[in-house]
Amino acid sequence: MTLERHTGTDARHAGEIDAALRALGTATPEPGLEGRVLTRLAAARMQGEPMIAGPAWWRRLPRPVMPLLGFTCAGILCAGIVAGSVSHSRHNQSGPVPPPVMQMPGTGVGAASAMHPAAPASTPVPAGTASRGHSSRRNSKGRARITPEAHKAPGVAVPAPDSNLPPQ
Amino acid sequence: MSCFEGQLAGWMSPALARTVDTSQTIAQLVAEYSTALYRVAFSVTRNAAEAEDAVQETFLRVLKHESRLGEIRDYRVWLVRIVWNIVLDKKRRAKTRPENEDVADHTRTLPSGDRPADAAVISSQEHARILALVDRLPRREREALMLSAVQELTTAEIAATLETTESSVRSRIFRARRELAVLLEKEGIPR
Repeated sequence: MTLERHTGTDARHAGEIDAALRALGTATPEPGLEGRVLTRLAAARMQGEPMIAGPAWWRRLPRPVMPLLGFTCAGILCAGIVAGSVSHSRHNQSGPVPPPVMQMPGTGVGAASAMHPAAPASTPVPAGTASRGHSSRRNSKGRARITPEAHKAPGVAVPAPDSNLPPQ
Repeated sequence: MSCFEGQLAGWMSPALARTVDTSQTIAQLVAEYSTALYRVAFSVTRNAAEAEDAVQETFLRVLKHESRLGEIRDYRVWLVRIVWNIVLDKKRRAKTRPENEDVADHTRTLPSGDRPADAAVISSQEHARILALVDRLPRREREALMLSAVQELTTAEIAATLETTESSVRSRIFRARRELAVLLEKEGIPR
């Protein structure tokens, strides 16, 4: 059905299409085209260079040159980064550095207690005079409880034992 | 003539002879192919001035690569490919500006015959409308159809220009004509 329709359409319009294409394909230039072309060629030859604009310089390079150029640039960049990093680290090491020798203390404990000569000497922290060792303990309700038998200074009031609390 | 001048002339003579040879070859190419190249260019540009510019630019490129003239096996296909690339490139660059296509150009292309002037103008308008529909075809089909319109080109030469096979060219032309007929049916071109 579709094929028949197409065939019919083709046949109806074939003449029109042929005529339009013939008109297009038999176009005749203005008389003297060859002469004008030769004149322009002669002018270009006289100038020593054709009058058409050439492609940009990077397009005139051979095809494998561009990736090669890219790799070279990347390599130079990487070398620059490495050289800069090395020079920076050397610049930081201005003073003499003692050799990394681990000195064992006289007691001859293990390597874990060895001291690096460059490490600051450790000094013991003295205990304060008013300090005391203490621990905080709380009972289950979070309130301190004072037993009646507790030693207390004379004249200090002691609250009566709470009847709600279980006896200790 | 001194001895030096004589020697210089002896050294220069092969180069001069080669220049004369290439000039003659190019002149022969211009005489033989400029009309065919103009038709190829006109099938794309549909403008006489632009088509002529394209032909001139083609031969300027030939002049630029005159040292390679001896390596070319088929001058016709080589030249058609150059002009084809030039006009397609121009058309691509000028895509933003409107088509500079006029009835006068089409009228000039028509075989004069003995038709009255009015009939010729109407016919050229019909052709312009058909060619506008050609522009709506897919690129491959359109290019094959336009090159097939140039009578000087064989199917093998069209295939070489489009860098494809002859059977592909034939099927593209067939599809293009069928699509064009469908478009004409839809548009209802007056007869």
